[in-house]
Amino acid sequence: MGVGEVVVRSPRISVFRASFIVGYKRFREVGAQIYHSRTAMLGLSILAFFTFIAVAAPWLAPYGPREAVSDAHPYSFLQTPNSFHPLGTNYFSFDIYSQVIWGTQISLIVGVASALVASVVGTAVGLISGFSGGWVDEVIMRFNDVVLSIPWLVLMIIVAAKLGIIDLTGIILVIGLTGWSVTARVIRSQVLSIKERIFVERARMIGTPSWRILMRHIFPNAFPLVFANTILTVAVSILSESVLAFLSLSPPTTVSWGKIISEAIDNNALGIGNPAWLIVPGLCIVFLVFGFYLFGYALDEILNPRLRRR
Amino acid sequence: MGKVLRVAIRRCVNAGVTILGIICLNYVLIRLMPGDPNLSFAPRNRQYIGLVEYNRQLFGLDKSPLDQFLIYLHNMFTLDWGLSYFYRAPVAEILFQDLSWTLLLVGTSTVITILIGMVVGSYAAAKRGKPFDLVSTGLGIFFYGMPIFWLAIVLQAAFSKTSPLSAYFSWWPVLPSQGRIDLPPFPQTWSWDWVHIGNALLHLILPALTLSLGTLAGISLVMRSSLIDAMTEDYVLTAKAKGLSDRQVLRRHIFPNGLPPMVSLIALDIAFVVGGAYQVEVVFNYKGIGWRTIDAIHNLDYPLLQFIVVIGGVAIVLANLVSDFILLALDPRIKVA
Repeated sequence: MGVGEVVVRSPRISVFRASFIVGYKRFREVGAQIYHSRTAMLGLSILAFFTFIAVAAPWLAPYGPREAVSDAHPYSFLQTPNSFHPLGTNYFSFDIYSQVIWGTQISLIVGVASALVASVVGTAVGLISGFSGGWVDEVIMRFNDVVLSIPWLVLMIIVAAKLGIIDLTGIILVIGLTGWSVTARVIRSQVLSIKERIFVERARMIGTPSWRILMRHIFPNAFPLVFANTILTVAVSILSESVLAFLSLSPPTTVSWGKIISEAIDNNALGIGNPAWLIVPGLCIVFLVFGFYLFGYALDEILNPRLRRR
Repeated sequence: MGKVLRVAIRRCVNAGVTILGIICLNYVLIRLMPGDPNLSFAPRNRQYIGLVEYNRQLFGLDKSPLDQFLIYLHNMFTLDWGLSYFYRAPVAEILFQDLSWTLLLVGTSTVITILIGMVVGSYAAAKRGKPFDLVSTGLGIFFYGMPIFWLAIVLQAAFSKTSPLSAYFSWWPVLPSQGRIDLPPFPQTWSWDWVHIGNALLHLILPALTLSLGTLAGISLVMRSSLIDAMTEDYVLTAKAKGLSDRQVLRRHIFPNGLPPMVSLIALDIAFVVGGAYQVEVVFNYKGIGWRTIDAIHNLDYPLLQFIVVIGGVAIVLANLVSDFILLALDPRIKVA
């Protein structure tokens, strides 16, 4: 049977328990593989680094994210990097170094939360579509094609304009609700293959109702792939957030890396001799996304049955 | 043959349904947007008080949503796309002009990306686990995870007149980073002479470079994994056991089996490239479809916006359809329903 499938035998456990058991067994099996995969470990350590910064931000950052500094300089706004402010200050005299550290929190929260939204919606759609087959599948997949074909940036901007981005929830919903199509497609194809396995046939033969097969047998077995896919979606969501911020579609009072870059552009950071204002938050995005991609791809390679042969 | 034909017809029908879906969803989406362009365009003067009502009737906004939808459908298919609210020019005219510039940008960078991506990807697959593979894969993911607008700005700065690099290297080039061609002393109306073509190409370098760098990994990584997939098949082992050289195995057994999946993945990647092109066009002020989209959103220019969305969607559907057909021609194993 291998790593591929785990059959949950006890009839009395909830779907969450079942997913947890399958997930736990699978992860015990793949844990060693993750540990020995250089890419996965590199990715994980990058993620650990940024998580640490996000958690420790209150202690690491010398100032608040939107706290105006006042110091002995001739002026406190738009300073170039100096010993007090390693990355300078912005137009409102906020310390950019502190902003970058606080921004880690926002970028991580927005990335993870919107990936969760996208994964929940995408998994539900993929499960229903793949499991029911027939015209339901056909309708859902055509709709999915439509959503995938509309340029995602435009889709996101229109949804953003409709929902109105006034706080973090708004931006999480915008990115989450526009980003589930790929997940749905991946999960659907996985469900199609799980559906054909022996244990599903057995369950059906002894008269298990469909929804029970779906929730107890198919979902738990698709779950590891959902997980790997969610990690990759986090990377995409972080990028989406930065693009939205660049187009000034971000909550007015939160400080994310994308927002800092967008402010750097608006204030001509390069022209006033503070390239670090633009470069550092950009590099942060690049490395965080790099970490998620590395970990996600490595996980995908370990968990995805089609790829595992290698 | 009958089977291939059936699959082909099915794909066409699917594409048609998807395009119809895009057209319908687009109608809903645009009307969901907040704000009323009619109100924002009418001057706030007492003497124009009747204008809002007049415009409402003129543009058919007083009709029921269903009637409006039918008019929209009719106009869509007769290419009678109306006037842009903001530019007061026919939408079709504006869009087709923009489209040619975007096609130039996306086309150039797609061709470069596919060529380089395939070479890098297959070389990495051949040298799996060796330094070249690790470095190219790592760099690929690195650039893939870069916000394209940020890369665009960094490159823009690197090749500007004040670039720090030009202080160190006397030969460091300064490349134009704004617009499609030079500003007004340069003749603005397009003509097909070398001056214009050369100038446009010069302006194309940076945007195309940005877009290529940002999307290269999409091709090379997929190429690599697709070839590695083919390499682990039993027939490759057999071929090697027969005593064929690595080169022969690669050319006769791995490529023919590893390439077809690439075609559909390249088509899927087009959507990503188009998304990147939006950002590149905004940063470089390159007036193509992407720039126009953001512009139309800012101006609440609905007629322009709704057809941009449709054009973008249809382009992606068509790219997928073409890839399906190429796949049908290339791969005899297609049994997909």
